[in-house]
Amino acid sequence: MVADIEIAAARAAGNLGRELGMSSDAIDEMTHAIIEACINAREHSGCADNRIFIRFAGTSTGDGSRIDVWVTDHGKGFDPQEARARRPAPGQVHKRGRGLQLIEAHMDEVDISTTEGGGTTIHMAKVEKKS
Amino acid sequence: MTEELKVAVERIGNDGAVLFTKGYINNVGGEEIANRAYELMDSGVTKLLLNLRETKIVNSIGISILIEIIEKMMDKGGKIGFCCLTPVIHKTFAIMGLAQYAKIYTDEDEARRDLALAS
Repeated sequence: MVADIEIAAARAAGNLGRELGMSSDAIDEMTHAIIEACINAREHSGCADNRIFIRFAGTSTGDGSRIDVWVTDHGKGFDPQEARARRPAPGQVHKRGRGLQLIEAHMDEVDISTTEGGGTTIHMAKVEKKS
Repeated sequence: MTEELKVAVERIGNDGAVLFTKGYINNVGGEEIANRAYELMDSGVTKLLLNLRETKIVNSIGISILIEIIEKMMDKGGKIGFCCLTPVIHKTFAIMGLAQYAKIYTDEDEARRDLALAS
């Protein structure tokens, strides 16, 4: 896996967001969420193929724009409920284990598809309405 | 594709310093900041400001290293502050708990005044 490839993925999504007219704050939040999703996949998935698959879909609607992002690995999977249960509350000092929490804080929609030994897909969406 | 972090240091008196970061604070960038911070602490710095004006992206691994720097400074009885964060980095710091032990300032002048770092 190429070093800092999460930056390339985040930049691609950011370019799409700019084309759709998203604000820089919304793009920054999405950037940080994508980076954390890629890091989680790289550090915790245990995938044998050492690959992360990322897909983007941008939608421009009459009242704003939306970007959907899917980050997929072919690793061991995990239990999202267990991960949420053991994480510390926001604001408490805890050095690691915040990736999913940060993703959920920065994105408007997050859902996770994961099975034991069958990999994980995190789907997240950034939605911005025109003010 | 790599995104190398650059760190510049301004030493202030015997016990103060400002670190200016430029680039992505990930594991490598965090270690670079830590190395510079620990060198400064070892040479007597007890008031340290990190100016992140030119850092637009951080990740949770990089922040975990920043928390280690704060803990080491607290062990020495010193103070660390951060300034010039983007709104998203500020939000990320708050979630990670970093804001509990290090003060976050809007701008550098305010930080220097509060940390008694004269330029």
